[in-house]
Amino acid sequence: MTRAPRRDTELGLIVLVALITAGAYALASLGKSASLPANIGPFLAIILAMLAVAHVAVRRLAPRGDAVLLPVAGLLNGLGYVFIARLDQSLAGLQAVWTGLGILAFVATLVVVRQARDLERYRYSFALLGVGLLMMPLLPVVGRNINGARLWVRLGPINFQPGEMAKITLGIFFAAYLVEKRELLSDFGKGRLLPQPRAIGPILLAWGASILVMTAEKDLGSSLLFFTLFISMLWLATDRGAYLGIGAVLFGVGSFFAYSSFAHVRERVEIWLDPWSRAASQGYQLVQGLFALGSGGIAGTGIGLGSPQQIPAAATDFIFAAIGEELGLLGTAALIVAFLLIVGTGMRIAIRAEQPFEKLLAAGLTTIVGVQTFIIIGGVTRIVPLTGITLPFVSYGGSSLLANYVLLALLIRISNDTAERRDRVAQELTAARVDRQHG
Amino acid sequence: MDRQIRRLGLVLMALFLVLFAQLNWLQVFHAKALADDPRNTRRVTRDFSQDRGTISSADGVVLAQSVATPDRLKRLRQYPEGDLFGHLTGYFSFTYGTEGLERQYNNDLVGRTLPVRNVRDFLGDRTRTGNLTITISKKLQQVARDALGNRKGAVVALNPQDGSILAMWSFPSFDPNPLAAHDQKAVQDAWKSLQANADRPLLPRAFRERYAPGSTFKVVTSAAVLEKAPDLATKPYPVLRQLPLPQTTNKLSNFGNEACGGILPDLLKVSCNTGFAQIGLDLGAAKLSDQAHEFGFGQAAPLDMPAPAKSIFPDASAFAHDLPALAHSAIGQQDVAATPLEMALVAAGVANGGVIMKPHLLAQLRDNEGNVVRSAQADPWMRAMSAQSASTLRDMMVAVVQSGTATRAAIPGVQVAAKTGTAQTVGDNAHAWLIAFAPADAPKVAVAVIVESQPGLGDNVTGGRVAAPIAQKVLQAALAP
Repeated sequence: MTRAPRRDTELGLIVLVALITAGAYALASLGKSASLPANIGPFLAIILAMLAVAHVAVRRLAPRGDAVLLPVAGLLNGLGYVFIARLDQSLAGLQAVWTGLGILAFVATLVVVRQARDLERYRYSFALLGVGLLMMPLLPVVGRNINGARLWVRLGPINFQPGEMAKITLGIFFAAYLVEKRELLSDFGKGRLLPQPRAIGPILLAWGASILVMTAEKDLGSSLLFFTLFISMLWLATDRGAYLGIGAVLFGVGSFFAYSSFAHVRERVEIWLDPWSRAASQGYQLVQGLFALGSGGIAGTGIGLGSPQQIPAAATDFIFAAIGEELGLLGTAALIVAFLLIVGTGMRIAIRAEQPFEKLLAAGLTTIVGVQTFIIIGGVTRIVPLTGITLPFVSYGGSSLLANYVLLALLIRISNDTAERRDRVAQELTAARVDRQHG
Repeated sequence: MDRQIRRLGLVLMALFLVLFAQLNWLQVFHAKALADDPRNTRRVTRDFSQDRGTISSADGVVLAQSVATPDRLKRLRQYPEGDLFGHLTGYFSFTYGTEGLERQYNNDLVGRTLPVRNVRDFLGDRTRTGNLTITISKKLQQVARDALGNRKGAVVALNPQDGSILAMWSFPSFDPNPLAAHDQKAVQDAWKSLQANADRPLLPRAFRERYAPGSTFKVVTSAAVLEKAPDLATKPYPVLRQLPLPQTTNKLSNFGNEACGGILPDLLKVSCNTGFAQIGLDLGAAKLSDQAHEFGFGQAAPLDMPAPAKSIFPDASAFAHDLPALAHSAIGQQDVAATPLEMALVAAGVANGGVIMKPHLLAQLRDNEGNVVRSAQADPWMRAMSAQSASTLRDMMVAVVQSGTATRAAIPGVQVAAKTGTAQTVGDNAHAWLIAFAPADAPKVAVAVIVESQPGLGDNVTGGRVAAPIAQKVLQAALAP
């Protein structure tokens, strides 16, 4: 077996992550009850074991894959778990199970997808799957309303949010489709500022789908995410600034339409503009989140010593505010840096990749993580109107965790393919040189 | 495509930068406003659900304590002595925050300042609390209350040697219990009725209200003579009923239009306005203003309570073109304003050889296991004058009690030093003052008494008649074994 310096780096980082997570877990317990948790040993062992499984899978299945993504995701996941456990013990057990399943999904993705470009072939299957997943909550019997949004599907005892997985399958479809139609979509004809009418079709379709998701499922966050993803990838594939313009116009029209026809959208915007006069009513959640962040200050109250349970949905949409209260600006800045690392690494993988499909897919998947992070943190910190969406890897939520681990595996798969291809080229070059010298 | 990917990466990075900037605004620059927002119940909820130590008087009476309750707030704060110590304990209210010692020593009471002995403490053992003992005994506080009776005003007694407050009573007072109750509707009603009361019972007059000190300020003017212009101490001032003032046709009269004059001790004994006004003009604004500031005017006394008021004497420049104001200020009128606490500290400064000690209410802080965490210390605050000047001034003040305006402050068998004041306020009303200390040769207690707005300007409203008997009772009780 060849030496794998990247894997050794990854292993080192994983051990560090496990120690940090266990330390935070111990602090949370000390903060709440002034005693060390009885299960701190097993806890540390379980984290290490979970991350080790993922690590071994990477070592076996993608030995030249990126070494930073898995540890950073593990850190976010671990820290999120500590806060979920600190906020709501009953969710903690479920989140642990979901984390395990997420790791399994990560491994399974690496096993099934041996080469990223294999995915390209199944583009229309992925498209169908994506649309099917998106529409699933609308079906009778299995579809469920939770907190006013119809995002959920109930299968037996399990509630599932299929939209989380749809964002990946649609990302794959967009990448494959755009690579295929690149030329057509880039060709505006002579002197034209706008694409040809038939090239506008797909963009209108994506927009329509987003509007549908928004109106039928009342899921503003996902709708915004899909639309941003599609426009970004369209622009990446064609380098036509006009698409950004068209996207902006359509976004404006859609926003206006949403604002004028839906009371819940109007309410979100009004809360965003002035949460303070509604601090005791509709603005309560946002204001409590802001209070939490402000009370945390620079260094935070310490884990287990704040009152983040006062924020509604502290373990899901507002987990960032809970972390901000107890870990302060130091903690929130660290989280942002962690996401920045994922985004930076993802984009680097995209740039290094050699095939257009891989490039586009890697950039698209990275955009999903980046935009989703911005939408929810921006919502909690009142940069943009709040839309309920999970903070990747950190928030409580099984579907989200599962989907994000799959996404992570795909990025690692792409980076591995690129590195292996380069290794092969280098070997062939060396071999050729050796041949020449000896020949 | 690489160029676009790089750009997209940069855009995402810029978005994250916006998040980081906003977090700095929320968690650093705007953090205090968010944390202190009255709608943010975090701090008060945390303090409410925590154990909280007791506050006790010097003679061991519990003034504030927490008892467990079954409701959401878990603990109820009780004030067994009610309004007797209302201004001192203050209140610990879920709705209206904290005041008084509850506010001043909040971190000590919840144990946040206790020393860290081990890892458990370090990680925040929330069962530790701090118990406060204050320097005031219930016994003397009760004497002060009874002596003042139902007249608006204040009594402050303190030990001039170490600055410990022995009694501090302001009337009217309030009972903190209704404000600390858990029924928020009842709390709001109690608060509104206290706020609406024109007599302002929530105001601790003793250290947060300013009055013209009137003739009690002549002690400061006398100190200025002894310290800064000793020649004037032996200068005879003419016997006058009225003093013509410079720069104006107005005249300054003696109380009751009496005639008086003589050298400094004679002037102080009968509280001669014309004499002291002329002394003020002779001294000049700079010396008088400096002396007042050396007694602590121009700042708030460093009492361990929230927001004590500043006592006021103008800077010398304010009198540059207004000599009548200087003349009036030399007898404690017009631009001069002092808290009762400040005037008690003036007496204490004379009593303690010219050095004013920092006034304080905290005697001792113990943890809930009885270990002493902190004890009060005697720290000097101001040096008002030399020991020699203080001794001369003391003799002059003894004469005020023996044969001057403050004979009613005399205690059999104890030499008392005092100065009266009758400060004219709006219309024909006057504040009656007395500052005093005893025993004159080895002072153990200094006192200031003010009775607000006595109607009329006759002899019966003077400090000597109204305030002196109150001070006498407090001094006598404080000196009783």
